[in-house]
Amino acid sequence: MKDWTFIVILSIVAMATPLAPILIGRLIGPRKGNELKNATYECGVETRGDTWVQFKVQYYIFALVFLVFDVEVVFLYPWAVAYNRLPLFGVLAGVVFVITLAEALIYTIRKDALRWI
Amino acid sequence: MNLPTLESINLLAVLPVLIVFGWTLVLLVIDLFIPSGRKYWTAWLGILGLLGAAVALAVRFIDARGAAVTAFDGMLTVDGFSLFLQAIFILTAVIGILLALDFLPRHKIERGEYYILLLFTTGGMMIMSMAADLIVVFLALELLSIPLYILTGFARPRADSEEAAMKYFLLGAFASGFLVFGIALTYGGTGTTSLVGVFNQLAEGEPSRDLALVGMALILVGFGFKVAAVPFHMWTPDVYQGAPTPVTAFMSVGAKAGGFAALMRILIVAMPAVGEAWGMLVAILAMLTMILGNVVAIAQRNIKRMLAYSSIAHAGYILVAVSAAQRPEDAPLAVSAAIFYLLTYAFTNLGAFGVVLAVEREDGSGNLLEDFAGLGRSKPVLAAIMTLFMLSLTGMPVSAGLVGKFFVFQAAINASVGNPWILAAAIVGIVTSVISAFYYIRIILIMYMQEGEPQVVLKPALTVALALTALATLILGIIPAPVFQLAKDALLTLVG
Amino acid sequence: MSLTPLHAIFALMSLFTVGGAVGVVLNRNLIYAAMYLVLSLFGIAGLFILLEAPFLAAVQILVYVGAISVLITITVMVTRCVFCKEPPPRQLTLVAVMAALVMVTLGFVIMTRFGGLTPAADVPADSIEQLGVAFVNPQAYLVPFEVASILLLGALIGAIFIARDDLPRDEEAVGGDDHA
Repeated sequence: MKDWTFIVILSIVAMATPLAPILIGRLIGPRKGNELKNATYECGVETRGDTWVQFKVQYYIFALVFLVFDVEVVFLYPWAVAYNRLPLFGVLAGVVFVITLAEALIYTIRKDALRWI
Repeated sequence: MNLPTLESINLLAVLPVLIVFGWTLVLLVIDLFIPSGRKYWTAWLGILGLLGAAVALAVRFIDARGAAVTAFDGMLTVDGFSLFLQAIFILTAVIGILLALDFLPRHKIERGEYYILLLFTTGGMMIMSMAADLIVVFLALELLSIPLYILTGFARPRADSEEAAMKYFLLGAFASGFLVFGIALTYGGTGTTSLVGVFNQLAEGEPSRDLALVGMALILVGFGFKVAAVPFHMWTPDVYQGAPTPVTAFMSVGAKAGGFAALMRILIVAMPAVGEAWGMLVAILAMLTMILGNVVAIAQRNIKRMLAYSSIAHAGYILVAVSAAQRPEDAPLAVSAAIFYLLTYAFTNLGAFGVVLAVEREDGSGNLLEDFAGLGRSKPVLAAIMTLFMLSLTGMPVSAGLVGKFFVFQAAINASVGNPWILAAAIVGIVTSVISAFYYIRIILIMYMQEGEPQVVLKPALTVALALTALATLILGIIPAPVFQLAKDALLTLVG
Repeated sequence: MSLTPLHAIFALMSLFTVGGAVGVVLNRNLIYAAMYLVLSLFGIAGLFILLEAPFLAAVQILVYVGAISVLITITVMVTRCVFCKEPPPRQLTLVAVMAALVMVTLGFVIMTRFGGLTPAADVPADSIEQLGVAFVNPQAYLVPFEVASILLLGALIGAIFIARDDLPRDEEAVGGDDHA
């Protein structure tokens, strides 16, 4: 539990660091807005229309493939950590796991699901 | 880590499911290189794999001579019960592929994934029937369900298919949530996920019971969704109607049998200590299920919807048998009645959906009861087969359905001594069977008495599937004894 | 029983978890609801840490806070109506009654059964290593491990099949004609 104390301290510092300038700026900075200053981009084209638009389904497929392999990592990480203690059988069992998910990759590529259209 | 011995892993005992999974993984790659338009190769290769698994299963069956063994040190139990159910799953999968062979190209939704996903869910069902650990039960259930969600939406972008898949997925995920929660509470109460461990803990007495009781109730809810028991049946009619017909046929049998396999193993093997509690709950569920399924089926105009309610009703009859297994001494007879019923239901229902599929038109219409009008004149053999299936679903003589119902009610009445709930369930079952005759026989009347020109497409694969199921329904109806003996020998055992 | 920093952290994490969950349910904008979900999942990761299960906490962050929330956000973004103006249909009272009922039942059982505090068991330093060994040990979790890989494969195939296939569909139609 001791180790986590440092993480808690770190996260407090990490949150305070960006919050401090914002708060300080708000406290002591002058507030005089004009049209140009309040624009979304001071230099650049104003956005038009609604920003809540429908995205391409491609994003979904990428996120999904990422999720599957992310979960695979979760299973493989303890296996890799324990690698030195594993008998041959254990290594092979992990290899079978990897092969099964390699098929997922082959399927994804062969179905052209990773090509951006 | 101790080196595992070959006996403790016992790969040979689980060879059938290894064949199914291994072959599916190979087939997945092969399918990627089969040109579209020739996806029937995938189908036949899939059937080949299933036949291989069937051979392994038969060898195992002869080898075992009724003895139960565990594989992977108690994670999986290979007993007569699981062998019998695995046979049902393989049969269902083969017929599910045969039904789809012509249907998919005719409806322009032919994809190799159909067969791959079907094999995946078959493998999940097979694991389910063997699972002797709650973690394996959960994973097997997901492996069974997820491909089925996809298969339900296989006819996309047809809206009703997509809607069905969505509904099935949402409610199925919800049910899985209940199941996981139930498993977690059972684990919290007993400190183990192994069914043997749960059994031992519950046998010891009080401290763990309360939590395990709540856990049991939640597990029951989770499986209630899967087997379509009232009041967890809401998804069934829409999903059965929206899914492509071969998928409906496969799902109505396979998913139900898979759900019952795990439910029976958990309740009967691991929780006999709280048998009275779950026996009562299951009996109530059974009564509700039979009444609602059979009564609402009368009002249906769409045959797929009608068969959906009929499948709800049949889940009720099987629940009667499950409830009759609440006392260990009654369990063997009740379990054999339940799995025999599942077998008869499998053949009959697959066949009935096969006929529905033959009458269905490419645009997805042709599912109304009126579309069967005139079938008796234009296709007498098909009509006769459909008549057989309908009689079997009702439970009329010379059909498998009667024998199945007879054994279920016999087991229930045997077990009902001193237990009014089982007796009540059995009586409700008999009464609702009579009610069910109304809507099953209406189909027969429509086929023979009304004029009409049904458009029937009957290709070879479908013919084979229909002949197989009709023959099995007839044989099980006339000489049920040998197969029932098999079911009787198929004991559900606690090994570990 | 004196209050320790642990109690404060537990309170904060519970607040994240429960508050996030309430935010998910009550928010009409799906994107904001997804963000609340992230908060809730993050709180659960904190609870795992308090339970001395650092690996689970890492998994929670990596998979749930990382991947699943991204997936959910993207799923919301690819839907036709990202920010529907009309509120979704609700039967709040019915749902609330059901939820309260479940909570009371489960709460009662858990309170009566786990009345006292159980100290967290000592976690061995090599717990992850032990988990790794157990995953591939046929006497432990080999079957779930391999079934999980097949499950992931099946889910991926299904998801790609459902989400995609509009482009190959045209190609396949052409290919099909060639063979015919």
